[in-house]
Amino acid sequence: MHDVDLVVVGAGPVGLYAAYYAGFRGLRTAVVDSLPEPGGQISALYPEKMIYDVAGFPGVRGRDLVAGLRDQAEMYAPTWLLGQSACQLERLADGRLRLTTTASEVTTRSIVIAGGIGTFSPRPLPAGTEYLGRGLDHFVTDPTQYAGHHVLVVGGGDSAVDWALTLEPLAASITLAHRRGRFTAHASSVARLRDSSTTVLTPYVVHELSGRDAVRRAVLRHTDSGDLHEVDCSRVVAALGFTADLGPLNGWGLRVVDRHIAVDSTMSTGVAGIYAAGDITDYLGKVRLISVGFGEAALAVNNAAAASDPDAALFPGHSTENAA
Amino acid sequence: MPYFVAADCVDVLDRSCIDECPVDCIYEGGRKMYINPSECIDCGACEPVCPVTAIRSDLRIDPADAVWRDDNAAFFTGVLPGHDAPIGAPGGAAKTGAIDADTELATRVPVSPT
Repeated sequence: MHDVDLVVVGAGPVGLYAAYYAGFRGLRTAVVDSLPEPGGQISALYPEKMIYDVAGFPGVRGRDLVAGLRDQAEMYAPTWLLGQSACQLERLADGRLRLTTTASEVTTRSIVIAGGIGTFSPRPLPAGTEYLGRGLDHFVTDPTQYAGHHVLVVGGGDSAVDWALTLEPLAASITLAHRRGRFTAHASSVARLRDSSTTVLTPYVVHELSGRDAVRRAVLRHTDSGDLHEVDCSRVVAALGFTADLGPLNGWGLRVVDRHIAVDSTMSTGVAGIYAAGDITDYLGKVRLISVGFGEAALAVNNAAAASDPDAALFPGHSTENAA
Repeated sequence: MPYFVAADCVDVLDRSCIDECPVDCIYEGGRKMYINPSECIDCGACEPVCPVTAIRSDLRIDPADAVWRDDNAAFFTGVLPGHDAPIGAPGGAAKTGAIDADTELATRVPVSPT
């Protein structure tokens, strides 16, 4: 159970900036995100791409922007509630809000929803969902857990190829299976993959996983011929990308239209204590840019702070004069 | 300004795009892919991965492509051969599966000699 002044839902670029700003305003802050690492759409969809339209950066790689925003937020040490989805939101008798996630409960005075295009869920591996947590995973959070194992990586994007390259020196063997001959990963990474000891099998999909308590074997199927190929593996990484969905946010009593939340010029959703910022918002003239989202994050936090504390000013002063 | 799939996709159907789309709005027709403009969220993740650069943005539109932009919409709002009603906005291509039909425009693209 956590008790804070402000919860940021979503740890993408806008959520991270909102977390910094709330800390700067002296608010006890928690940040919730369903993914295990911050970065939102940037990390999920384009971490390696150069972004040219963020104010102050003639060009910045997605992952570097996320790293900078995380460092900035870390200056005020928010409570990170990552790898958990925001589920239920309730109003308490004293007017505060209680947010329940898949792993925590947080009570707070205000919420800033920086939900972007919705919660990212890893695309499931159709043939193996029952092995999740029993040898099958969608993320490699700790490469040492794969040492000495026979590993199967499924996918053809940068995540799949990068993880195969990372695990190759540690694992007993690595096989990578992708359903197309072409990889969407960087050509140079794919070249390194082919030069490595990794067995690259394309075009194959996972037909079946088997094993009693945990994964022991995978049967792959050639997508053209239908031929089957068996691979012994005690670890499987399914790096098949993400899909996004507003999910539980749809049930929070907010004005949701077409995957967006309507806000006014204070970034209030119209429900006391609940604000939104970034791509998830909608209002007359809205343009979905990171830089626009940053502005909205500052508006949302400042307005949330002023609304929840009669002694708090809307404008907190300049950061150059006061680090709170 | 949603994205759309132009003629370069016809009879190629590489499908790299569907791996990238976070909202699963790219649907497989008979001869080409179609992006549902009412489901597309303009994230742009699909555009760079197409090996034949068939995906275009509504923003930088070549006059020759405008007809394909409209055709992508028509795939979902019109009634396709073999169907009784428009496909509409089913909310995800994975749920719907491949749709064994094309718009008239896509059907009329000549088959390239191989």
